[in-house]
Amino acid sequence: MSDASSEATARHPTRLGGRSAAAVWIPVGIVVLIVALLAALFAFGLGRNPTVVQPVDLGKMAPGFQLARLDGTGTVSLGSMRGQVVVLNFWASWCADCIVENKALQAVFDRYRDQGVQFVGVSFEDQSGTARGFAKQMGMHWPLASDPGTTTAIDYGVTGVPETFVISPDGHIVAKTIGPVTYPELSEQIANAIPGGA
Amino acid sequence: MSGEGRGAAGTAAAAVVGVALVAAAAAILVIAARGAPAPTTLQERVRAVAVGLRCPVCQDLSVADSPAPLAQAMRAKIATELQAGTPPSAIRQQFVHAYGSWILMAPPRHGLSLVVWILPLALALAGCALAVVAIRRWTRDRPGAAQPGAAPAENLPGRPDAPDELSSSDRRLLERAVAASGAWEEPE
Repeated sequence: MSDASSEATARHPTRLGGRSAAAVWIPVGIVVLIVALLAALFAFGLGRNPTVVQPVDLGKMAPGFQLARLDGTGTVSLGSMRGQVVVLNFWASWCADCIVENKALQAVFDRYRDQGVQFVGVSFEDQSGTARGFAKQMGMHWPLASDPGTTTAIDYGVTGVPETFVISPDGHIVAKTIGPVTYPELSEQIANAIPGGA
Repeated sequence: MSGEGRGAAGTAAAAVVGVALVAAAAAILVIAARGAPAPTTLQERVRAVAVGLRCPVCQDLSVADSPAPLAQAMRAKIATELQAGTPPSAIRQQFVHAYGSWILMAPPRHGLSLVVWILPLALALAGCALAVVAIRRWTRDRPGAAQPGAAPAENLPGRPDAPDELSSSDRRLLERAVAASGAWEEPE
């Protein structure tokens, strides 16, 4: 090859011959890395249930409340029950799952009522008269309260009904159930909350 | 145009594109940084907080935009807190405390969620860099692109406006081939 032709080759290198291996592979590596990252995020997202709401962190202090009783006989406050395990149940007369869980709630209430466990039912987005009628029909004999403005439900991060919280004697939330409770589950949660077990 | 001239043209074109991309990105950042005007009325202040909170009983709706009773109750709670003098950031924190960071419409800027904030910016910057590099290569490797008025079929060897990227040996080879074909005669 003459000098002139060598010069021509040097001035007009072919695409592949003119590029170093790094110039080719670094962009390819970056693209592969990005695709792999997006694929990993996609796979991670597919493994999660988008309908499941992240629950509040258990162990935090239960927000205080003082609510008027549904039957008009005074108020119910969390502060007055300090030192006892409290089962706080949010419910509504229009809630089908509240009917479903009522039998289990009744049974757990009967089991623990003499062991210092306090039950409180807070009506959620309901009318007082309708809620009272529902409670009487269902035989809910524990203190029931209304929640004007839904402020207490919001403080507890309630997204719907029924939701049930178990609060330890020192005022910490130790269990939360989204949806209807069952007798074994709620009994176990209460037993775990009672100092020394039950 | 000489080879250096085309290289300079390619560099200038890449510089223009680069400046345009940077200017566009800066304009977007400035507009984003300015944001909406500061709310004045209580209703506007409530909306400013509520728009950043997710309605817990809705599909992808903020508390500000949802007609659900729970969202209405949340707006009322926000209004009560604002009237009591609670700062908007503290109100948002109350909701995060109750519902978790899930309640925020925008993901938090820490932990794994930081990826969704950084990744688009990184990809945009990488795209700009890629565009500048690609344009520089295209304008450098394609003489026709740097000479929009030139007609390659007429730029035969020996003519004054012929492109000069042919080496002298290539030029001689081409002249011999053309002469042998009889398609064109040497001008002199």
